[in-house]
Amino acid sequence: MKPAAFDYVRVRSVREAVDLLAAKDDAKILAGGQSLTPMLNLRLARSQLLIDIKRAEGLRSLAADDSVVAIGVGWTHAEIEDGVFEDPTRGLMRHVARGIAYRAVRNRGTIGGSLAHADPAADWVSTMAVLGATLVCEGAGGKRRHVAADSFLQGAFLTQLASDEVLVAVEVPRLSAQARWGYYKICRKAGEFAHALGAVIHDPARNICRIVVGATDGPPKLLPGTAAALAADPMSEALDGLDQEIIAALPEHEPAARRLHATAVRRAIAAMSTRMDH
Amino acid sequence: MATLSLSINGRSVTAEVEPRTHLADFLRSDQHLTGTHLGCEQGVCGACTVLIDGKPQRACLTFAIDCDGADVRSIEGFENDLLMNELRAAFSKFHALQCGFCTPGMLASARDIVSRLGEVSEKRIRLELSGNICRCTGYVGIVEAIRSVSLGKAPESFAVAAAATRLERLGADVVIRSTETAPTSQLGRSKGEGGSLEERIVINAPPEEVWGALSDLRRVAPCVPGAEITEIDGELIKGRVKMALGPIKPSFRGEARVSLNPAAREGKMTGLGRDKGTGSSAEGEASWRVIEGPANGSVVVVSMNWRLTGMLSQFNRSSIVRDVVRGLATAFAANLEAMLKGDAPPPSEPESLNVLQLIWSMIRQRLFGRS
Repeated sequence: MKPAAFDYVRVRSVREAVDLLAAKDDAKILAGGQSLTPMLNLRLARSQLLIDIKRAEGLRSLAADDSVVAIGVGWTHAEIEDGVFEDPTRGLMRHVARGIAYRAVRNRGTIGGSLAHADPAADWVSTMAVLGATLVCEGAGGKRRHVAADSFLQGAFLTQLASDEVLVAVEVPRLSAQARWGYYKICRKAGEFAHALGAVIHDPARNICRIVVGATDGPPKLLPGTAAALAADPMSEALDGLDQEIIAALPEHEPAARRLHATAVRRAIAAMSTRMDH
Repeated sequence: MATLSLSINGRSVTAEVEPRTHLADFLRSDQHLTGTHLGCEQGVCGACTVLIDGKPQRACLTFAIDCDGADVRSIEGFENDLLMNELRAAFSKFHALQCGFCTPGMLASARDIVSRLGEVSEKRIRLELSGNICRCTGYVGIVEAIRSVSLGKAPESFAVAAAATRLERLGADVVIRSTETAPTSQLGRSKGEGGSLEERIVINAPPEEVWGALSDLRRVAPCVPGAEITEIDGELIKGRVKMALGPIKPSFRGEARVSLNPAAREGKMTGLGRDKGTGSSAEGEASWRVIEGPANGSVVVVSMNWRLTGMLSQFNRSSIVRDVVRGLATAFAANLEAMLKGDAPPPSEPESLNVLQLIWSMIRQRLFGRS
């Protein structure tokens, strides 16, 4: 199918995009467009105006200090996969990027577009949640808000972005040299949307152990109980409480779906134990 | 229409395009370069893969207007490309094509695999090719052809390292961490392809009063979120239901039939609607039963059952469908509860708000004696 007619504006600055968002109903930000365009082609979405921020100033920025790397939203999955800039997560981000859809999609799709689109099955949604990253949103007058990535999604395709805000950067905390991570997603076919996803980070030097179950019907969920058990005994494979915690975290999911999610988390933890150094 | 200037296969092109025209249609219909094939138009099949600024990308997921200033190379543009010539010969030798529909995209991806990765294993080729679907030849010949060309080759260097600047912070940033999520239901879980939910609402009014309020379908129907009623004729309601889920905003137009059983204090509504925009249909059933609750109160048991067909369900993402269903059911239950408790209705579309408010004041006055 072909998209319904829309207007297209290419903006040079975030401010211009914010002004257009505020002025027009039913306008949508276009970054790489690799999630939005299928919806437009299928006419599931019918936006009146696409605001192309691909060439807006500052969205391919990169800034870092000792604890955080701030990544502009315009970097593509393929650029992250190729290690075009330093990966502060000891290989987790490169690993995740490589598993997103297909190379032809990764060459155009952006990290920020994926987060703002807020598909529950999107890799960056769960990855940024498990990393404890912070998302920087810019609104009217250049006012910036910092939102914790683990509470950015409110539901499928619903985020904390206000209607006149643009996601501009992702602040990713650095993992220490002792950090280990595991990431596992269950897909029917390589590159397809995940049916279940598990992500885990254990960074004893920073006293951080976080586990996320993702590709749910809504926001990714942290599993603090299982994470605490893992931190207390990193070699533990038992994780007896995981199934119960998944049931509590995903009360509306079918038992079969919960089993799939528990499996993804177990495999993410197992991948971490066997791969001491990434 | 907008003006577009780009390079196609080394040739400068200036053209007028509609913003909605994607690059594949522009190449095929406007430039008569029909070697770029269109299969799925949603980024899955890979038949439309072309090189944009040297990188393989989906021509169906790229708007032509977005290629202003770009260097586009379609399958017609590899005449003098050494690597592509090798791949072409190998595709013939290893019988890597029959009908040829997937071949232009396969070759674009194959060229990227060899130039980016150099000599590459069969396993990696299969992984890298997962975004190109062949429906007749099968992948054995394609994979062998790519592998044979890759033998002994080194990857071309491509990644230019980007350096970070010093992160500047303007004072201490306050990080917003909200535990608040969108109103999801505390309801039963969804089943099958559609959804089914059950909710129990406790009301501080005797069952007969609650039933009295519920037995008038003028009061019940507006509890369906985003609903706008255009006609009520006996048990038949006509109207539409609007929803919004991110960029997806279907508006289902249709009709519903309501039947009531006063003796059992049970009501049932079945409806069928169609959204022209997404070419989807929704059908569903909502039923409610009023039973005695604690302290002379009532419990209203609401159950809903919904099924979506058409584009919305064919999008192949059950979570989207479930979320639509859940959003509807949650809001219906909340509206019903608000109506029965006499609270103000939740914000709604202006046009449906009028219907709601009208009925609202009636109910509040009659049932709860408030105004």
